[in-house]
Amino acid sequence: MLTKYLTSISTSFSPFSPKSGKTARNFLALLPPNARSTMSIDVKLLNRDQAHMPAVLQLKFKDGKEMALDLEKMKIRDIQAEVDRHSRVLKRGEELNG
Amino acid sequence: MPPRLRLRPSHLRLLTLHTPLPQWTCHQCRLASLASATTPAIPIPQMLPPNTPMQHYPTSQPPAYKPPQYRKSQLHRQYQSLLRSTPLILLFQHNNLKSVEWMGIRRELATAFAKADAELGVEQGVGEGSKIQIVQTGIFASALKVVEFWDPTGGEAAHGLSAEAHKAAKRNAKLRHGLEPLLSGPIAVLTFPDVSPAHVKAALSILAPSKQFPAPKRRANPGYYEAGVQNGLQKLMFLGARVEGKVFDAEGTKWVGSIEGGMMGLRGQLVAMLQSLGGSLTSTLEAAGRSLYVTVEGRRMALEEEKKGDSGTGKTKQG
Repeated sequence: MLTKYLTSISTSFSPFSPKSGKTARNFLALLPPNARSTMSIDVKLLNRDQAHMPAVLQLKFKDGKEMALDLEKMKIRDIQAEVDRHSRVLKRGEELNG
Repeated sequence: MPPRLRLRPSHLRLLTLHTPLPQWTCHQCRLASLASATTPAIPIPQMLPPNTPMQHYPTSQPPAYKPPQYRKSQLHRQYQSLLRSTPLILLFQHNNLKSVEWMGIRRELATAFAKADAELGVEQGVGEGSKIQIVQTGIFASALKVVEFWDPTGGEAAHGLSAEAHKAAKRNAKLRHGLEPLLSGPIAVLTFPDVSPAHVKAALSILAPSKQFPAPKRRANPGYYEAGVQNGLQKLMFLGARVEGKVFDAEGTKWVGSIEGGMMGLRGQLVAMLQSLGGSLTSTLEAAGRSLYVTVEGRRMALEEEKKGDSGTGKTKQG
């Protein structure tokens, strides 16, 4: 996953939710070791009794685009595809501008 | 790589060799007068093959469902033993921590545990046996299933890698132990050899500081505020805990950590509660008897006074 063009991640989820919790945790596991020095990451963990509450994953890119991803429906592959699609556009723009 | 478990020839001896069959003696042949008699046929039980079961494997290596020489199998066995021997496990997710960061975190944990041990006044306490380690999530999940749903007592080859254990874990696929949603992705476990709230408190204040369990002050512990440790801690997420086979979330684990005085404290509270309960119970049971006594006594006093009054008046009349 291209994480170079991400500037901010804010997420809140319950790890006990079998769907959204897993997806959000997998997303966080994909970030590189130095992610916290290149972007702001805000993780809020909910409790077990809040597992039914909808999980939130909001991303911000370098060009200012904001992306709110629906963790209930999307799997980690879908999220990767979404993030990569926009990151590739930014990458191409960067390459063309030099 | 050579196989890690070597086969020793001494173990391959069959069990039947240790218990020789009773020697059959021909009683008739012993008598000289009957020496010319024909030898009788061997009795039927001796013509049949021996009844003792043949063991086709060495006693130190009972058959396993998966080849035991593989690393995966040994990890499975190791995790089972870990799960059986540790009543308290904290689960963390580690997001790409570097080895330096792990080193710093382990160092801070060790100092915090040593402090907790010293506060409790125990040498070689719970802190000594506690350890944070990365586990292979899939194998750990499978081992947890075997530990939860398979009863090792009885059975021919009762060990965690046997076909029986495998079947039991598979048969109970619909049963839930509660940790399933947590067991995915990169997982690290912090294991304690005993349920000790003081150590849980120490661990949580280092690894997942909160209002209830604040991190050590910068002046008290400058090592904790090093960049390596702090970066590592940001990437370590506290997911939940397994305490005595029960699953707790972060809030529940904080509650476990907040038990004052540990198990001894809980026992003291229980004793105090039972004592006060006993006292109130006896006073309740006494109440009926006591009120009866008071009533009767009151009546007796009244009667006595009446009698006294009567006799007094009688005396005055006589005089």
